[in-house]
Amino acid sequence: MIASPQSPGLSSAALVDPRALMGIRNLELRARVVVEGFWKGLHRSPYHGFSVEFTEYRQYTPGDDPRYLDWRVFARSDRYFIKKFEDETNLRCHLLVDQSRSMSFASTGYTKAQYAATLAATLAYFLHLQGDAIGLLTFDQDVREYLPARHRAGHLRQLMFALEKAGGGQATNLTAPVERITGLVRKRGLVAYVSDFLAPIERLEPSLLALTACGHEVTVFQVLDPAELTLNFEKASLFQDIESEQTVYIDPAAARAEYLPRIEAHCAAVRATCQKLGIGYHRLPTDQPLELALFEFVQGRMRRGRLSRPSARSRT
Amino acid sequence: MSFLTPLFMLGALAVAGPLIFHLIRRTTRERTVFSSLMFLRPTPPRLTHRSRLEHLLLLLLRCLALALLALGFARPFLRRTAPTDATPGQARRIAVLVDESASMRRAGLWPEARARVEAVLRKTTPADQVAVYTFGRQVSPLVSFEEWKNALAGERIGLVMSRLAAVNPGWTSTHLGNALISAAEALADADGEKKVPAGPREIVLVSDLQAGSALDSLQAYDWPKGLQLDVQALPARNPTNAGLQLVADSPDADREATPAVRVRVSNAADSVREQFKVGWSRPDGTDFAGAAIDVYVPPGQSRVIAVPVPAGVTGLQKIMLRGDDEDFDNTVYVMPPAKQKLSVLYLGADAADDIHEPLFFLQRAVPDNPHLTVRVVTQAPDAPLAPAIAQEARIYFVTGPMNAATAAELRDQMLAGKTVVFAPKSADAAAALGQLLALPGLGLEDVQPANYAMLAEIDFQHPLFAPFADPRFSDFTKIHVWKYRRVNAAAIPGARILAKFDSGDPALLEIPAGKGRLLALMTGWNPDDSQLAVSSKFVPLLYSILELGGGLASQSTQIVVGDPVPLGDVGTAGEATTVRLPDGTTTTLAAGTQNFTGTLQPGIYEFSTGARMLRVAVNLDPAESRTAPLPADQLERYGAPGPQAAPDPVQAARREALLQGEEAESRQKLWRWFIGATLAVLLFESVLAGWTARRQTRTVNPGGLAS
Repeated sequence: MIASPQSPGLSSAALVDPRALMGIRNLELRARVVVEGFWKGLHRSPYHGFSVEFTEYRQYTPGDDPRYLDWRVFARSDRYFIKKFEDETNLRCHLLVDQSRSMSFASTGYTKAQYAATLAATLAYFLHLQGDAIGLLTFDQDVREYLPARHRAGHLRQLMFALEKAGGGQATNLTAPVERITGLVRKRGLVAYVSDFLAPIERLEPSLLALTACGHEVTVFQVLDPAELTLNFEKASLFQDIESEQTVYIDPAAARAEYLPRIEAHCAAVRATCQKLGIGYHRLPTDQPLELALFEFVQGRMRRGRLSRPSARSRT
Repeated sequence: MSFLTPLFMLGALAVAGPLIFHLIRRTTRERTVFSSLMFLRPTPPRLTHRSRLEHLLLLLLRCLALALLALGFARPFLRRTAPTDATPGQARRIAVLVDESASMRRAGLWPEARARVEAVLRKTTPADQVAVYTFGRQVSPLVSFEEWKNALAGERIGLVMSRLAAVNPGWTSTHLGNALISAAEALADADGEKKVPAGPREIVLVSDLQAGSALDSLQAYDWPKGLQLDVQALPARNPTNAGLQLVADSPDADREATPAVRVRVSNAADSVREQFKVGWSRPDGTDFAGAAIDVYVPPGQSRVIAVPVPAGVTGLQKIMLRGDDEDFDNTVYVMPPAKQKLSVLYLGADAADDIHEPLFFLQRAVPDNPHLTVRVVTQAPDAPLAPAIAQEARIYFVTGPMNAATAAELRDQMLAGKTVVFAPKSADAAAALGQLLALPGLGLEDVQPANYAMLAEIDFQHPLFAPFADPRFSDFTKIHVWKYRRVNAAAIPGARILAKFDSGDPALLEIPAGKGRLLALMTGWNPDDSQLAVSSKFVPLLYSILELGGGLASQSTQIVVGDPVPLGDVGTAGEATTVRLPDGTTTTLAAGTQNFTGTLQPGIYEFSTGARMLRVAVNLDPAESRTAPLPADQLERYGAPGPQAAPDPVQAARREALLQGEEAESRQKLWRWFIGATLAVLLFESVLAGWTARRQTRTVNPGGLAS
């Protein structure tokens, strides 16, 4: 039930075994289970937007920004007051979730797609609680569904519903969702890209570069099944590609020696691409607890926030 | 153990299949779904080491099943008895038919035919029985089975060849169908004899197989079973052959300004040439007498041309054709038929131009034509009959009473073979009838039917009415009879009623008298008595009477080689007839010979008996000119056993052994045991394989992934 701790900073008792987590049928409930054990809003909006949620007045003291003086109160009472608002972000986060058929591979009792959906739902729930606008884009060889980033009642449910839809594409096109989101979202925001990246990645770098060039902050989650990383099959058999349905006779014992370096090289290439572009990269084997992913995500954002905007603080 | 179809034993090679399958790891059936094959390379199926050959018992069972199946299909049998003597000693009976028709006169065919016959005979064994026949229009034995058997084995071929050397192709047509039937029957006769071994029977046909061969008789022939027909077709050296045939004269020939003979020029279907010359030949046959006519005849077609008789040249008998490769059929002999003169005596006092009298119609019914002139001599009944006139006339017409002397003279002539036509104008002529028939009491009675009488119950079998037998011409009901005479036919001994009136009274009687006859027509043909003279039946009936009376020779048809020549008057003269054949030789026929049957060559035959002479032109059968080969399957279409190669004795022995094997195999049916054993082995194999698989399932972890 309790997974072994894999990341420093999180106690093992806090982690939920993914197998048990996936036993929960409701995706929103799954996300809530993960998030409720982990609540820590640490990020800031990259914008200085106007807040609407008024909280209190505070008497002006020298040094305060005179822009926030309430001149109407000054006119009535001839005193300087400063309006204080609730610090609200208007972060727009887009989740790009791979629903191609390769994501339906499972050796652990639940598919990569289920794991990825839970991850996306967890992130969405987490961000929603922070009041961020969440958008969703699912894809296989084409973009399947797009929900614009919103923060309103019912949007989260709609998003969960979209995540629960079964995928079915014959192939995986890694660049199409990136290009689409680049074209659709002009405002800077956060993009979480969840996929197994088991597809040619030659054109991935230019498209991700375009996305980051627009000012988006991108995080990549590579979801992989443990069997894909170890090829721990016993018997030689006809291996059928889940997407192209092509069959090839494979003796795992003989093929493993060649396979493992190649898959590792592929993952390393994805990671290298991300690092080159300043994109956060997280490899998530599906037997890893989701809290770790969330932790790494938040930790990564904190680190990046500090690195990129060390002076950014909440406004008063 | 022997096998009927040993090639099926090759199926046993399939045991290599189980061996290989047992050596290959049985892994290919399982499928594993994987997310992406982009990092995987196909692994070749591996053969396990030979020492790891698994499931030896299963392998053995599978191999055994395949081997048993192959053995079963090879149809094994046990040869209980020693194979019979397979030496080619079985005697055959062979009838060799050699074509000697006119078409075999073509260049090179006859030597080739002889060579073929010799080749056939050389292939025979001493035990074989051979008969050799030549055939054209008829089949004639050259060497019979008996002669062959009696001759010494070493001299048989020499006997046949020496006799064949004496034979040359004749001029007859090819009755191939009759020849084949005769040969088949000769072989069947030999079947019936004892001591004849039951070997294969064979007809060897050596012929040019020309298209003109008569095969019609084969249509209804039921070929004996087991008979083989070996056709040795002789190829012609020169394909072009045009033929010449006489065409019957047109009825209007006498109207033409210049006399001409019409001939048909036909060209064989496989001819190469198309341009020919036709014309009268000089008596010596060297060149055309007069100008020749150019004729263009495409292959397979024919043209009819009129060859005019050159003016001022006499003694022409031949029309010939030039421009042809083969000249055996390039001559036709033409004998202009002599114009027949016939004298008919009419006893009556009629005026020649009185349209109410029978004479008027009799004279006009027999006009002159190129072949016949009928002279109607009129004699008053009461005048004395001149003996010369009575002698010359062939037929006498009597319509009224006459004096006793004339009647006696006519009766004498009638008894000698002449014909008297008695057509009384009234009952007064009864006495004349009585005198002619020597029946004095015979009476006639005038009958006037209420309306009219018609002819009925006509005997179309009689030669007189035979031309009307066809239903198109047999309607006599349009002839109305206004008056007739009634006679008691029962009172006339030997009278045959040829036609009756519809009242039942006899209309036409034939009364034989001595060698001659009397035809009693009980009504006149003049319009006062009946409509007979103005009907379409009158002229044919009159010609029938002339023919019946022997006064009119039947229109001679063309005579081809082999046809009998009717001698007619020449033969009946009571003396021996001398025949001069076309080649100049003469022969003598016995007196009274009616037909000459020795027409063996074309040409002019002269028959002479005393002062009488008959010249007849005998020509080649036109069918012989059709020298294109018969279609290859023509004989088979007529049900002939088909041209087959002579069976090789070794092959025959092999076939015999095969037949015996088939018989033994079908009796023993050993294949059933093998198939049954195969099924049993397969059943056992299935049970064993199932048990093995279950045991493996229990012992081996079925999961596809490593735990």
